Amino acid sequence: MDWTSILHFFRGPFFTFSLLFFAAGMTYRLIRVLLLGWSRDKVPSRGSKAVGVAKSYLKGVIILPFIPWVKRTFRGNAMTYIGGGLFHLALLAVVVFSTPHMMVWKSLLGFGWPTLPFPVTDWLAAVGIVALVILLINRMTHPVLKLITKAPIWINWVIVFLPFVTGYAMTHHLGLRYESLYSLHMMAVDVLLIWIPLGRISHFLFYFFSRTIHGAQAGKRAVNP
Amino acid sequence: MNKQSAMNAYIKEIGGWVAGQLEACTRCGLCASACHFYQVTDDPEYAPVWKVSLLGQAYQQRFTFLGRLRQALGLGRPITDEALEKWSKLVFEGCTVCNKCAMVCPMGIQLGPLIHDVRAGLTAAGLVPADLHAATVKQDAIGSPLGVTDDAWQERIDWIAEEWEVDIPKDKKGVDTLVVFSSIEIMKFPENLVAVAKIMAKASESWTVSSKGREVVNFAFFEGDRELTKKFLNRVFGAARELGVKRIMISECGHAYDAFRWTAGNIMEVPKGIEVTHVVRVVYDFWKAGRIRLKKGAYDDGTITFHDSCKIQRRGGHIKEPRELLAWLAPRAFKEMSPAREQSLCCGGGGGVISIKEADALRLAVFGMKVEQMNKIGAQAVCMVCSNCRLQFTEGVAHYKSGIQVRGLTDMVFKAME
Repeated sequence: MDWTSILHFFRGPFFTFSLLFFAAGMTYRLIRVLLLGWSRDKVPSRGSKAVGVAKSYLKGVIILPFIPWVKRTFRGNAMTYIGGGLFHLALLAVVVFSTPHMMVWKSLLGFGWPTLPFPVTDWLAAVGIVALVILLINRMTHPVLKLITKAPIWINWVIVFLPFVTGYAMTHHLGLRYESLYSLHMMAVDVLLIWIPLGRISHFLFYFFSRTIHGAQAGKRAVNP
Repeated sequence: MNKQSAMNAYIKEIGGWVAGQLEACTRCGLCASACHFYQVTDDPEYAPVWKVSLLGQAYQQRFTFLGRLRQALGLGRPITDEALEKWSKLVFEGCTVCNKCAMVCPMGIQLGPLIHDVRAGLTAAGLVPADLHAATVKQDAIGSPLGVTDDAWQERIDWIAEEWEVDIPKDKKGVDTLVVFSSIEIMKFPENLVAVAKIMAKASESWTVSSKGREVVNFAFFEGDRELTKKFLNRVFGAARELGVKRIMISECGHAYDAFRWTAGNIMEVPKGIEVTHVVRVVYDFWKAGRIRLKKGAYDDGTITFHDSCKIQRRGGHIKEPRELLAWLAPRAFKEMSPAREQSLCCGGGGGVISIKEADALRLAVFGMKVEQMNKIGAQAVCMVCSNCRLQFTEGVAHYKSGIQVRGLTDMVFKAME
């Protein structure tokens, strides 16, 4: 078996399988939580839940990543904030706004969008890799993170790191032949897609649960979330 | 048996509301730095995420695919009795359920309420610290966690009324407001009763206290014992129904306000048409409506600050009222601590922690952060609207030999009345 057919497999049928597994897995996780039962809040509110929810998302998107003003939180957690913030920025830029990835989205969704120039996404990919390394070191050294990090979280790191480095290596033709690197990249992406519904990378979905709950809790009490 | 009942209790608590939040945790560990217990000890076990992990473990084993698979293969690690005992210390002695952690969580997870659920499970397993449970048993049997009997309560009310020459109506039907005090106020801060009585009289508000619903504190709520929580709440709701009042005014007590205002309606039938409100709101409304007049600048000497109580401000919403009052009473002297309002630092005495002797050293160590906060702005006095906080402040200020004066805002309002 040569690299070309390996590549065909991992960007063809196996990619399709991974995507379907991802979609089915996430749907299962979503439905399971929804079906666990939600009781209606019967307590009269002092303020507006909707306003609270809106503020909660604004805080989540703007304030927490860029202005972690809550006292004593940034100190001692600089690596978490900086590493986490840069990683998510890089992830967004590379996965959504790089031309090759947008083309993949376009083939799946049927429509595309403007992308960032290559040097920008390329640098951001490197930033993402560095951020991941920072986060790894942070996780290995921070006393709280050492305590709460169990095997699945370490696996998460490896599985997220691999698509980044293989993708970067592939665009820069580092080490192996292009087809080989491309195949490894696709393998890593497929593994990632399969792993997401099984672990905590799925937080991008449950983010919407917890931030909405947080906003509603604050809103009904008429305080800022 | 212990283990089993605890597990069952946890699992019963898990609905979508809890599960959705447990699933959202990314294990970033930021909540630790919001927790004053972690900050003073540097012990990672005080991280809120770690305290909640017991609930997470139960959830995973019972509800998640991988967790169930592991269990089926015999790979799941059961929760041991030793672990439960350790967790009991963490969540009862090392957590005031102040929910500051939720304010820093990037995902917005309500860690406070989740820790309340952990407490509930441990309570079901019989793992409540002895002192806390003793107070709960006392409240159940005698009607007051401090052991104030019916007779002692009657005598104390009469004594306060006589000593300060105030009118404190007892079991008066058909009035508008039922005022419920805590035993802490009755025994340790009688001036709170005096202040309320004087303010009510000045505002011509018809009100009463009730001998049946005489305790506002709910120790079962600290424990997370739902049935007993309802029983204690019902004593007051029952009295309110019987007396035909329009509203229940919670005195300076935080957890009680949470229980009556934000929790009762979702765990039991509450009497319809009876509003639950807090004394700081009532006083504020009287002042705004001109029913009481306050001397402007009555406390304008030195520097005075306000302590936000977690259950009345961050989790209660009464952030604006005390500030407007202070801006009037002490326009130049009033100075905010940092952080304040929703982000305020808990005093360390809430959630029943103050009643646990074994937690004393930790509780006072935590208060050191509050002293530091007050010293930073050069505060000579601090006021608050929660007697539980006030007890902690009084003790803490003495412990640190700080000269800061500790005051209740209601008392200050009364003394500034024209």
